[in-house]
Amino acid sequence: MEVKILSAKFHIDNANTLAVAISHGAYSTLDKLFAMQPAEVIEEVKKSGLRGRGGAGFPAGMKWGFLPKNTGKPVYLAVNSDESEPATFKDRYILVKDPHMLIEGIIICSYAIDCHDAYIYIRGEYTTQVKILQAAIDEAYAAGYLGASIAGRDFKLDVTIHRGAGAYICGEETALLESIEGQKGQPRSKPPFPAVAGLYGCPTIINNVQTIASLPFIITNGADAYKAHGTEKSPGTHLFGISGHVEKPGMYELPLGLPILEVIDKMAGGVWKGRKLKGIIPGGSSTPVLLPEEAKDVTLDYESMAAHKTMFGSGGIVVLDETVDIVQLVENLISFYHHESCGQCTPCREGLGWMLKIVQKILRGEGVIEDVLLLRELCDNIEMKTVCVLSAACTMPVRSYLDKFRQEFLAYVPTASPAAQEKQE
Amino acid sequence: MADKIKLFVNGVEVEVEAGKNLIDAIGAVGIEIPHFCYHPALGSDGNCRMCLVGIEDGRPPLVPACKTPAQAGMKVLLDAAHIKKIQHDVMELELINHPIDCPICDQAGECKLQDFYMSYDKQPSRMTVAQVKKGKKLDYGCGIVHDQERCVLCARCVRFCRQITKTGELGIVNRSDAAQVEFFPGRPINNRYAQNIVDLCPVGAMTSADFRFKQRVWFLKRAKGICHGCAKGCNITIEHNREKYQEDRIYRFLPRLNPQVNGYFICDKGRYSYHKENEGRLTVARQGSQVRNQADALAACNQEISRSPKIAMILSPNCSLEEMVAVKSLAEKLGATLSGFSDGYISAGDGDGYLIQDDKSANRAGLGILGINSNRAVFEKDLGEAQLLVNFNNDLTRSYTEPELRALLKDTKMILAASHDDGLAAMAAIAIPIAAASEYSGSLVNCDNILQSFTKAVSKNHDPVDIGTLAAQLGSPLQTRAEQFSELRKYLSVLKNFEADTLPAEGLKLTDNEATHVTA
Ligand code: SF4
Ligand code: SF4
Ligand code: SF4
Ligand code: FES
Repeated sequence: MEVKILSAKFHIDNANTLAVAISHGAYSTLDKLFAMQPAEVIEEVKKSGLRGRGGAGFPAGMKWGFLPKNTGKPVYLAVNSDESEPATFKDRYILVKDPHMLIEGIIICSYAIDCHDAYIYIRGEYTTQVKILQAAIDEAYAAGYLGASIAGRDFKLDVTIHRGAGAYICGEETALLESIEGQKGQPRSKPPFPAVAGLYGCPTIINNVQTIASLPFIITNGADAYKAHGTEKSPGTHLFGISGHVEKPGMYELPLGLPILEVIDKMAGGVWKGRKLKGIIPGGSSTPVLLPEEAKDVTLDYESMAAHKTMFGSGGIVVLDETVDIVQLVENLISFYHHESCGQCTPCREGLGWMLKIVQKILRGEGVIEDVLLLRELCDNIEMKTVCVLSAACTMPVRSYLDKFRQEFLAYVPTASPAAQEKQE
Repeated sequence: MADKIKLFVNGVEVEVEAGKNLIDAIGAVGIEIPHFCYHPALGSDGNCRMCLVGIEDGRPPLVPACKTPAQAGMKVLLDAAHIKKIQHDVMELELINHPIDCPICDQAGECKLQDFYMSYDKQPSRMTVAQVKKGKKLDYGCGIVHDQERCVLCARCVRFCRQITKTGELGIVNRSDAAQVEFFPGRPINNRYAQNIVDLCPVGAMTSADFRFKQRVWFLKRAKGICHGCAKGCNITIEHNREKYQEDRIYRFLPRLNPQVNGYFICDKGRYSYHKENEGRLTVARQGSQVRNQADALAACNQEISRSPKIAMILSPNCSLEEMVAVKSLAEKLGATLSGFSDGYISAGDGDGYLIQDDKSANRAGLGILGINSNRAVFEKDLGEAQLLVNFNNDLTRSYTEPELRALLKDTKMILAASHDDGLAAMAAIAIPIAAASEYSGSLVNCDNILQSFTKAVSKNHDPVDIGTLAAQLGSPLQTRAEQFSELRKYLSVLKNFEADTLPAEGLKLTDNEATHVTA
């Protein structure tokens, strides 16, 4: 099942160091790259069908194409390495195991979009990752892969690590820009979009670590080689982090399009301790849960997830076994998003706190049916009324739990007589 | 005039100004889009989500009206059920942690949250869990009291300090429902325009220590005034009230929008200058230390005037054009000298290049237009030769120390028409009370050569006259305001199309030609 494109060097000792990385092919793309025109690079990436691996899955090459031409302003690249989505831990593998692949990807992207200053925005808590990545960047500078003239070419590129102070919302692309600029990390109301007015008001491309790290393979081997993996609309591979109640939690690189249940069984060893599967969070905590029977037809690609009213997200799959208390899970989930709401827009700022208190009231056994209904209604009232999608990242999964596990909530409501329950149906 | 475009609101075609956002464009034709965070002076921020509307053209189902420019042919949906529901939902969320302080909240009567609740929500609370509690009655500096619980986090106050005063005292700290407006520890609000924050705050979260609990706003009467605090002539609303058996008094000055002069704001000093309209007033005529009625005092003045062979007159640079022209005619008739000397009204270096000017007088430009000499030496020479000085409210204590004044007035009697009873009144042979700026109508020319008019707001119990009327009583050939105004037309040809009190609300920009007389 596994295909090792991104993870090709993960098992190699010291592949994070330049010498080892080079001996396994790092930076070998550059000759080919600089022989191409930037537009050709963009074309190749478009052809590969590579989609943004941050969660939204927007085609990368197309995003680059949105940059306005000849503005006279510098173009920036911001690599999103905030990776704060609960259950998601793919990017940090790249940062630690193969940072030169990321740097090489940054060179490719920067060349394609004519950027000379790239930032890697990295989550503050990732101390080990920062150290290793910075060491790799230093080595790359010393070896002439970064700096005034990359690999002896007439192309200048500086790469700066910017450490966040630990806020989930800073993974949202405009909040990330605010944070780099030294402001409070909160999303900007769009338009304008970053491609037009991003960092310091200049055209800016923001891509996830995994997206950028996929570029060396695409340029070296061509779009077709990349498209040989995955499905037609979701080509290539993805690093799936599988966690929760499985025998073998871990990080697996797989082509897109595999059946989710098969992956859980074959790669992760199935539900642990022989227990029954209760549900699957398919792509990080913000994605709506799948029931086992729904999961039967689900494959790991953007289209199949959408068809099942959930999202591919970050590829962070969480397996829930039969012992999971869904109401407690929801309390945990809301308390996370409430805590991380930047607080600028009313529905998210006020609404998530309200939702949290309602679910806590239900958990305390003080709830009434109306509370369950209100919780469900608030999901609709809050969602998509806000500047960014953080509020939806909370309401979408909560709605799915309320709809699919309604009885578990009602079980907490002491007055939930059968008659009262009927009322809400 | 800006270009007009046609678009549809709820299916009805309306004509609006191009280039504005939907809130302003549609608002101008009387259709309200509820909003908290947007303010025309601060631009849009997009945080309150109160202004979400639908546009039927294939863009996302909801857009914030504050960030959406009006475009020709656009189909804006406001009254659709789903939009009304959003307004209701956002209101509900706005209110879940809001204390219902309205009966004691100083903003009641001019609170957007209250207004919108009545227009868009009107539902009982569904909040059955504990509210978030935040601080109350916090001192934020510059006379601003902050009540965190009432704050809707619209960030107008924050943006004002960043964008307008560029002092940046405020920020919003914390996330989620713990977010609150704060200043950096030990560095509260400190700028000369701070009180505008109170006006900008859509709710009762920022209140003015000066005004809090003094009056309920619905009791206040409002009149259009011009601040006389400096040569900018900022447009203000004078809010006053006469409590039963009491004197009519002013409770506050608020900025009044005039894009040509002061925009949406005024300085704090000008705002607080209303205190001077209320306090320290000269309310009765005096001859020496004796209180006289107005008629007797006037008779005494006329007697002094008729028996003085040489008279010097001086007037205040705060006099209206009408007053100036009336006094000028009186001086000409009596063969008196007339001065507008008022160096003491200039506070060099105090201006800030924004609204605040060095010149603390409201109509120095008027002196120039009417050719009234303001030179110090000329005034002192004229005074030296005269037996009588008739002073029309020029506060000479601003230009001279007391000993200097006594020396200057040694052989000269002074008749003083004054609005205030200060050190100067004590030196006058006869002192006559006159109206302060809020108590009569007139026109002024500001530092940018914009001619503006103001109207009488306050009627005092002792009913003081303005200087124009007093000059008429002392024998000026210009007996009525209409006559004063026609005389002014000789100096200002722009006035030929206007009558007194019909000047355009935003003022009249004088031509260079008309303004060339200006000397200061
Ligand atoms: S939805 Fe929440 S996190 Fe996003 S901008 Fe609004 S308040 Fe901030
Ligand atoms: S801010 Fe408005 S809604 Fe809140 S207590 Fe004051 S008057 Fe009432
Ligand atoms: S104090 Fe007033 S102006 Fe400032 S954020 Fe709160 S509601 Fe807005
Ligand atoms: S006025 Fe548009 S979001 Fe606040």
